[in-house]
Formats: sequence, structure tokens, C-alpha cells
Amino acid sequence: MIQEWTRGQWALRATVVLGPVLALLAAAPAGAAPWGWLVVLVAVLAAFHARWPESAGGIAAPGVVVLFWGAALGDRLTAWALPAAAALLAAHVAALLAAYGPDGLGVDVPTLWLWLRRAGAAFLLAPAVLLPGLILRDRAETPGVWVVGLAVALVATVVATAALGRGAGD
Amino acid sequence: MTTWRATAAMTRATALGALGVAAAVLFGAPVVVVLTAPLLLLAAMGLLHRPTTSPVVETEVDHVVLHEGQGTRVRLVVDDLSDVEHVTRLSSPVRHVALHPAAGRMGCLLEPDGEPPVVEASPRRWGRRLLGEENVAMTSRWAGYRWGPVSMVGSQLQVLPVRAPFDSRAEAPQPLGVVGAHRSQRPGDGTEFASIRPFHPGDRLRRIHWRVSLRTDALHVVSTRGEEDTAVLVVVDALADHGRSGGVDGASSSLDVAVRAAAAIAEHHVRRGDRVSLRVVGTGGETVRYGTGARHLRLIQSRLATMQVGTPRDLRGDQVQLGVTAGTVVIVLSPMLSDVVGTMTASLVKRGLPVLVVDTLPTDVVPAVVEGTDPRIADLAWRMRRIERREGLARLATIGCPVVAWRGPGTLDEVLHRLARRAQLPRVRVR
Repeated sequence: MIQEWTRGQWALRATVVLGPVLALLAAAPAGAAPWGWLVVLVAVLAAFHARWPESAGGIAAPGVVVLFWGAALGDRLTAWALPAAAALLAAHVAALLAAYGPDGLGVDVPTLWLWLRRAGAAFLLAPAVLLPGLILRDRAETPGVWVVGLAVALVATVVATAALGRGAGD
Repeated sequence: MTTWRATAAMTRATALGALGVAAAVLFGAPVVVVLTAPLLLLAAMGLLHRPTTSPVVETEVDHVVLHEGQGTRVRLVVDDLSDVEHVTRLSSPVRHVALHPAAGRMGCLLEPDGEPPVVEASPRRWGRRLLGEENVAMTSRWAGYRWGPVSMVGSQLQVLPVRAPFDSRAEAPQPLGVVGAHRSQRPGDGTEFASIRPFHPGDRLRRIHWRVSLRTDALHVVSTRGEEDTAVLVVVDALADHGRSGGVDGASSSLDVAVRAAAAIAEHHVRRGDRVSLRVVGTGGETVRYGTGARHLRLIQSRLATMQVGTPRDLRGDQVQLGVTAGTVVIVLSPMLSDVVGTMTASLVKRGLPVLVVDTLPTDVVPAVVEGTDPRIADLAWRMRRIERREGLARLATIGCPVVAWRGPGTLDEVLHRLARRAQLPRVRVR
């Protein structure tokens, strides 16, 4: 019940709502302003996620944002992707913290700090991915680089899954 | 069997990461990977810390026997915590049990020493208290997997009545025992001065009063009264509970007053070396025989805590067996709203026993009525009942049974003094 939310829970839920909306709006300075109805749609989906942070529907709002960025910006690389990544990450971690228990559960401060540190460390991956892209942007594209990249990612996923699955079964 | 399952956060991070890669390939947009790379990393870390254990969880209470207002810790015992990072515990609230945290909900990281978080429970009213059902969930490192939530049945506590402040300097009216702290009516080897009388063979030499002996030219000795213990029977009226109980910190119902007063009186007399017995007039008919000592006191408290409230079928006041012997002080703790207890008390008084009634009816009691009852009729009925009660108490006073309201220390002093004085007067027994 919303009435049971503590101030900490309200802050978490607000972050869950604002994160995807801000990530969507961050595309505007990059030259791809989202339509108004899309912003409203994302806000509604994010609100749904904030109310039920453990639902599978939580993927909808950030999913729409990711698809919009991909469709609207194409092969353009922009530093505005960093605040967008931070906003998506913040929303994800806020939902994760909110999903630790029912509505009335307060926010445990040590847990919050632990996840802030983890999120900060994970966010470093965003500039680490962006910087090589910006550096290599003006170079001629090697034929089939995307296919090779996808194949490497798939192989890595299969290997990791097999390794982890064997470890879990021991 | 409960197993570890992927959390919503793990599923979301993995799906968004996959969606990002797919969108990057589909739209030829590397910027999407920037957005989803941190989420992919979190998902990978969750996967890397995939749990391999199957924890067995149970709850354990530090103390199952407590006094009202005392607290205990409800621990979570997990056989293997190696994969656990965060524990969530949700305890259902139960009447008359205070929890800390207040709502019984807590979610936190494992303690530095690897101990799961502890819930503190404090029963606020005597009796058997079953702690509420508890739901436990545990999350693995990086919140990748969750175990539970699992429902666990709460433990049962036996809550002894609180030690109400009580003290009495009054002596028992008719001590009739062996060795104790009450001044006997018979001469004996005590410390209480009785008289100076002529020496008889067998008197101890150290008892000779030399000043009087020299003055009278005949040996005189100081005689003392003997000191004996007494038997105390505490009768608790558990036919019904009147009033609202707010626990040890709040308002007291009639049974709260009776039980706490009974515990205090029993403790006082046990500490003085008297033989104390308990009889509960109620559905359970709990009885504790005469005895002394700390273990006996604990038995009395335990019976008080576990007594059953209610009116047995076909209960008649003249049929209640109390097992009272001569010299026993009978203390009846009752709201005196039942004819059964009134009749029982009157028959004890007529047997010549020192009986006193402690009125346990709260002054501001409101009768419990069936929903839908006309409040005017309920009020009228309650007023009539109170008038009957007043008449019953007056009749008891007429036949020589004092009635006092419980007010803690000194409650019984005045009436016990009066009963002791009355016991010294010559009596004519009616046959």
C-alpha cells in the first residue's frame, strides 16, 4: 500500500519514475527530441514499475527508452548518452532496492550505500564503452565488424552460461 | 522445497542488456550499448555470484518464559549463509506483543559477524502468546537470486504476570504452622514479648528476669510468643474478564488486576516463608497445592499465566472445592459480578476462616455487548448488575468479610490487622 511507504521508499519510487523519463529527455540535446506522447507513455510505464518494482513489466519503460535512442540517433555517438545511462542505472538500482521487501519496509542505509558504490562502479563502464567509440568514430568501418562483435558476444554468453551452469550444479 | 530464483532486477538487467545489444545491431546504433553496458555488468555480477547452497532456515527464541514487559530476541538460524547478502524478515503483528522494529519488518545486510538480523519481541500481557507468522527472504550477492519468501510459524511464549509492587507489614490473623514470621497467639520461643511470669521447671535460664526476681524473691522469666507460618489461599475469579486490557503499560482489565495482584501476594507470602496455594475459579480450574520456595512461586506464576478464562457449566458456589484448612487466610481476587464467587466467599466466612476480598473491577469498565444491542438497554442492564454487585458486597461486609480495592503496597494491611484483632476476641461458633 502506498500509504505505508516511508520517506525513503518515496525517494526510491520517485527515482524509478524519473530515471527513464530523464534518460528519454536526454536525447533531446543530442538532436533527437522525443514526442510528447512518448514521454507520457514512458512516465506511465515507469510509474507502473515504481508501484510494483518486482513485476516483469519493469522492463517496459527503460526498454522504450533504449529503442528510442537506437532508432532516433542511429550511428551517432554523443556524450549525452552518459547522463541517460546514469538515469537508467539509477532507476534500475532504485527499483532493486524497493523490491527487497514489501511496501512498508524502510530503506536500510548500509544497503543503500553498498548499492550506491556498486552503481558508481558499474557506471564507469558507460564512459569506458563510449570513449573508444568516440575515438574510432572517424575511422573507416571495417567490413563485418558488427557481425563479428555480435558473434563474439554470443560466444561469450554461451561460454559464461555453460561455466556458471556447471558451477551451480556442483 | 524452496530454491533460489532469479530476481526481477536480474531479469530486467539481463533483458535490457540483450535488448541493447540487439538494438545496437538492428539500428546500427552503438550509443545504445553505452546505455545498457552498466546494467549488463550488474547482471553479469549477479550471475557470477549464483548461489550453490540450499539453506535450511528456522527461528529460535532466546527465552520462552518471560514476565510481562520483558523482551527476548527472535533469531533466525540458517545453516549456511555463504551465499546470502541480504535478509528480509516480516513478522506478523500479534495483539499484546510489541516488536522491534515496530512493524516487525526489517531488511538489512548480514551483520559483520555473519549473523542474520534479529527481531526483538516483548509480550505486554500475561498468558500464552504465540508470536506471529514470519516470512523470510534472502538475497544473494549483487541481488541476482532470491530464496523465499518462506512462511514460518511463530514460537509460543509463556508470559508470567509482572511483579506488581506490593508489600505488607500485617501479620496473619490466625497463624497455625510450625516456624514462620507471624506472631502466634500461643507462647513459644520467639522474640515478641508476651509477659513476665513465675519460673516453671523447664524454662531456660537465660529467660530469667533478674530485676523482677530480686524484687519479688521468686524467680521470674520473660515469656514470648511463638512465631509461626501461615497458610494463604489465593482464589482468582477467572469466570470472565471485564474491561479492556492495554497490556503492562496500559489500562488493566479485571483479570489483569487479579492476576498481577495474585502474583504479588503469592510472592510476598512465599518470601515470608508462608505456605501459599492457588485456586482459579474458571474453565480450567487450575490449582496449586500449598507449598513454599522459589520453585513453588514459579509454579503459581506459571498457572496464572496459563489459566483458562470462562464459566464452567453447572458451576455452583457451594460446590467449589478449595481445600481450606483451619487458620488459612483466604484472599479472593474477584470483580464480584458472579453469584458463584459471592456464595463461595460467604460460605468460607461462615466457617470462621479469615477471608478478605480484593475487588478487581476497574472503575471505568464498560460492559462488552453483542453488536446491534441497543446501548440504552445495555446501559440499563449494566447499572442493574452494578446495583446487585453493590448489594452483594454489602452482604459480605455484614457477615464480616472485608472488601478492598487493589492499590498495591499496603492494600491488605488494614484489613489483615482488623482480622488479626478479631481473631484474638473470644468467639461463639454457630452450629
